[in-house]
Amino acid sequence: MTAQAQLRKGATYQLQRGYRLMMVPALLAVAIFAIVPLAGMFALSFSDYHLIRGTNWEFGFHNFAKMLADKRLMNSIYVMAALSVLGVAAQVLIGSAVAVGLQKITGRWRVGRILFLLPYAVPHVAVALIWLSLFTPTLSPINAFFDVFGITVPAMLTSQWGAIFAIVVADTWTNFPFAMLIIMAALQGISPDLEEAAAIDGASRIRTFIHITLPLLAPALLMVTLFRFIDSLKHFPMIFVMTKGGPGRSTQATNFYAYVQTFQSSNVAYGAAIAVMLFLMAALISFYVAKLNQRVTS
Amino acid sequence: MIDNSRQFHNRRRFGLAMMITLLVFAALPTVWVLVLSFRAPVAIFEPIWESPTALTLQNFYKITRSDFPAALLNSFITAGLSTTFAMLVGVPAGFALAKARLSGKFIASWVLLLLRMAPPVGFVIPLFLLYANSGLIDTYLGLVFAYMTLTLPLVTWSMWNSFAQVPDELIEAAIMDDASLAKAFFLIALPAARPGAVAAAILAFLVAWNDFFYALIITRSGTTTAPVAVMNFISYDSVDWASIAVASIALTLPILPLMALANRYIVQSLSGAVKG
Repeated sequence: MTAQAQLRKGATYQLQRGYRLMMVPALLAVAIFAIVPLAGMFALSFSDYHLIRGTNWEFGFHNFAKMLADKRLMNSIYVMAALSVLGVAAQVLIGSAVAVGLQKITGRWRVGRILFLLPYAVPHVAVALIWLSLFTPTLSPINAFFDVFGITVPAMLTSQWGAIFAIVVADTWTNFPFAMLIIMAALQGISPDLEEAAAIDGASRIRTFIHITLPLLAPALLMVTLFRFIDSLKHFPMIFVMTKGGPGRSTQATNFYAYVQTFQSSNVAYGAAIAVMLFLMAALISFYVAKLNQRVTS
Repeated sequence: MIDNSRQFHNRRRFGLAMMITLLVFAALPTVWVLVLSFRAPVAIFEPIWESPTALTLQNFYKITRSDFPAALLNSFITAGLSTTFAMLVGVPAGFALAKARLSGKFIASWVLLLLRMAPPVGFVIPLFLLYANSGLIDTYLGLVFAYMTLTLPLVTWSMWNSFAQVPDELIEAAIMDDASLAKAFFLIALPAARPGAVAAAILAFLVAWNDFFYALIITRSGTTTAPVAVMNFISYDSVDWASIAVASIALTLPILPLMALANRYIVQSLSGAVKG
């Protein structure tokens, strides 16, 4: 090895060490702010800790065994699935429709985009309160408007599917712009030549859309769906503000149920076990997203 | 040909009708909140077309007399501090992750994503017990710590993406010229990634600003943030809708300019994964 090469190797070593040093604060911070609470969550999930009774230091799988037989947990999973599937589908559909529609709008009307983006800026608590007011029959301008024509709009928040519908509407209102933004960016990346060429070849608009546009949009659609789906597992402010999980338990999604068990019924250990289940779901989905991300970036 | 053009017009009309419907859906709640915030309390349950002149500024005045402004200040302090800390720690880490020769980068990206996506209920249960036993409940410090679980993964992940777009040659050339790594970072990489850094800070601030869950559980009256304080306008037997409308506007207005700056970046931060 020449002296120069040796020198360069030394420099590279130093450089890599420099990089590692830059990561140390973040590693420490992640250890303190994330790993410690997560370890706590796992430890609690195997314990018998109760907010009032404390603990008898009995550790085991009893919380997880209890989960298997818990009808309220099963119900919460159904609710979560309904909220996620309906919400994400509505957001992706409306987001795509608006993105495609806005693409056709040119000139000064383009400013109108802001009207579609605005809901995304409203904090979730405010979103929930605004829609709570719109779903309150004595107050809502929607009810007042239809009353003029003698039509009585039913109270949404008093029936199971009505309440689920109400939460999905609020969630969709604030999150469809996210889907819209991503799909708009993806549409801009598609060369109009491709669609033109297909049209010249005699393909109908629908066929062009299915065979040319849609496959090119697929990665964006997949990403939006995954990101929105993960977020929808975390539903909290809307349920808390609009329905408190009711009527009955009909909008008690799993995340909310974990909160109820922990902070209302004081079953901390059981709440932690439910949180572990949710965490493992998030781990699976994020693994898939990280894989997707790695494939496109490398 | 004639048939074709009629078809074209029908499709246009359908498209326009759809866009207008969706516009009503998007804009109605916003317009409604504005109306509600100006409604005189006596007329609040009347349809607006029955008493269109029953408007007042009283609702805005009333809210300045409540606890809400203090809660807004708490929100600014905690969101600001947790963003600052996350930037101080996360920006260098993002740079190192983008440029270092490392094995285990995939694991790092997975962990960062997972921390960003994990349901907060899992973090909040142990934090609550920890805080209850160490006096951190209802303190700025406790809330800022909790927000770090939201802001730090976000900043690190975004900055990793931003620095990845700065050409390696730029950094290497600087190092070849005998610049230290710190110099290459501060004088070359950071200026090149500045738009990304601004956007990461904005996104982190928004996440903390919007939080409801952490604040609900680990704050009490002393450090309540605005999203939790709004709930005080709902009491057991009545709801102060006008104040809620004003508070919703107050919650949204400060972040509108931030959102306007960041919305392009929201796309970019994902487009690494969407480019396909």
